[in-house]
Amino acid sequence: MDLVYLAISATFVNNILLAQYLGNCPFLGVSKKLETALGMAAAVIFVSVLAATFTWMVSTYVLRPYGLEFLQTLTFILIIASLVQLVEIIMKKMSRTLYNALGVYLPLITTNCAVMGIALLIAKKQLPFIEMLVFACTSAVGYGLALVLFAGHRERLQISAVPESLQGTSIALITAGIMALAFMGFKGMA
Amino acid sequence: MSEIIRMVVVLSVIAGFSAAALTTANIQLGPRVDAQIDLYVRGPALERLFHKPAKDVLGNKVVIDVDGVGIPVFYTLQDKVVSTLAIEAIGKGGFGGDLKLMVGIDLIKERQTGIEVVSHSETPGLGARIVEIAFRRQWQGLPIDTPVALTADGGAIDAISGASTTSRAAVNGTNSALDFVRERKAEILKLIAER
Amino acid sequence: MQQKFTDVLTAGLWKRIPPFRLVLGLCPSLAVTMSAENGLGMGLATAFVVTLSNGAISSLRNVIPAKVRIASYIVVIATLVSIVEILMKAFFFPLSEQLGIYIPLIVVNCIVLGRAEAFASKNPPFISMVDGFSVGVGYAISLTLIGSLREIFGAGTWFGHLVFGEAFEPMSFLVSAPGAFMTIGTLLALQNLFSRWRGEKFIQG
Repeated sequence: MDLVYLAISATFVNNILLAQYLGNCPFLGVSKKLETALGMAAAVIFVSVLAATFTWMVSTYVLRPYGLEFLQTLTFILIIASLVQLVEIIMKKMSRTLYNALGVYLPLITTNCAVMGIALLIAKKQLPFIEMLVFACTSAVGYGLALVLFAGHRERLQISAVPESLQGTSIALITAGIMALAFMGFKGMA
Repeated sequence: MSEIIRMVVVLSVIAGFSAAALTTANIQLGPRVDAQIDLYVRGPALERLFHKPAKDVLGNKVVIDVDGVGIPVFYTLQDKVVSTLAIEAIGKGGFGGDLKLMVGIDLIKERQTGIEVVSHSETPGLGARIVEIAFRRQWQGLPIDTPVALTADGGAIDAISGASTTSRAAVNGTNSALDFVRERKAEILKLIAER
Repeated sequence: MQQKFTDVLTAGLWKRIPPFRLVLGLCPSLAVTMSAENGLGMGLATAFVVTLSNGAISSLRNVIPAKVRIASYIVVIATLVSIVEILMKAFFFPLSEQLGIYIPLIVVNCIVLGRAEAFASKNPPFISMVDGFSVGVGYAISLTLIGSLREIFGAGTWFGHLVFGEAFEPMSFLVSAPGAFMTIGTLLALQNLFSRWRGEKFIQG
């Protein structure tokens, strides 16, 4: 039961993008089209879960027992960066279709603070393994959900008459604000 | 080939240098960070438990090693005898993760003086009401030789309505602190006497 | 030389001011600007990292092989960020608690890596540090501005001091998440309007 609450809280209430403000750069960059948004969402979910698992293992079995928490930032970013490279190479070899679908988004993910943010949040909350998996997965799904929903809005925005000064990033941010307002409605749930 | 060797060498040198820099920074500033954590995180809880300014009690600290984890214990003296202890305890199984509590124990009267919440990540309006005095007041004056329990489990503590998980975590945390004091009382007093 | 120095120094304060002109580093601009103090603290921490990382990367630019360029940059930046983290905890503990995970997240702030790749990898150390400093200070100014606006209207205070007196009913919407998006969106629009009025071409897309 607690896991269900954790999942709902991570996906909706504390949505990583709209309530914790993580991963905004790619959010604005790839959300112009629904198709690219879907690709990015899938890539983020995939990498986040992998990265969370690895960083969790390192921080639980290496950093914390030996009092090396001050190396956390350094190790986490290195793990994520090398993981992304590794996934890219493996994907290229194993499945051409998967690579064609997700490959282009992978380099962008290293600097996506959502992935690093999820890893850091897990380390901060010191979650156990199962909770960690659920949290990583649902947080990333929440990110993907917001991204895909937002892409839908932006496709509509492109054919509407937006005042010249508001065009581009400006209207995108204001739209995101309205979406965040809607997501605030989930606050009473958990 | 030489290209690859150069890559590896450069990367290792940079990584080694940064690890060295970080370790130095940590060794130099680590004690200061710990003192700051005591002052800002544990300080307010201690002030309320001991009714004394945080600066007066923060120095009265011993750390007991339990299975490799250091448990901080703060104390006050009355006529050179240890009168009150405050033990940091982890309340396992809170709704948003573990609770960090400070449990006050009066050794002279053999009563609990209350619990304080050092940090928690519970839901606002429900579990977060654990910080309210109405809930925590129930601990004051409870005996230290019997475990605490919720009324639902036959004890004396009324759970926060709608947040029995959080309430139970607080109870668990208290019991672990009580057990800790019962088992390690001699060790704690010896450490304090040595100071 | 003199000319280039002034150009680089001023570029970060207006022509390339993040996050408005150079739309990078949005996450911290949204996340930590609940108050002017948080914005300033975050801005200065980032400025510190970007200045020193630009200096370090630029001095190493002829040693680092092109293939492991990004990896080396990340190690250098992560080290500096960790040092900032420890410094903040030791000297500004309440602020570092407020900023929370957003301090380690400076590592993935695109501004830092972006300046390293776009400027420091091609220019000598001194001018790179000037560039980092200018962009960093520009960022700190922006974050303080956003933080001030949100704090003044959202909480009725500025750096913790009452501005409007007791009778003011704060628009707490502005300090919440949606308010962050909208404040920055509106500021971007105003900035665009101003640029168009001056007849400038703006880089933002």
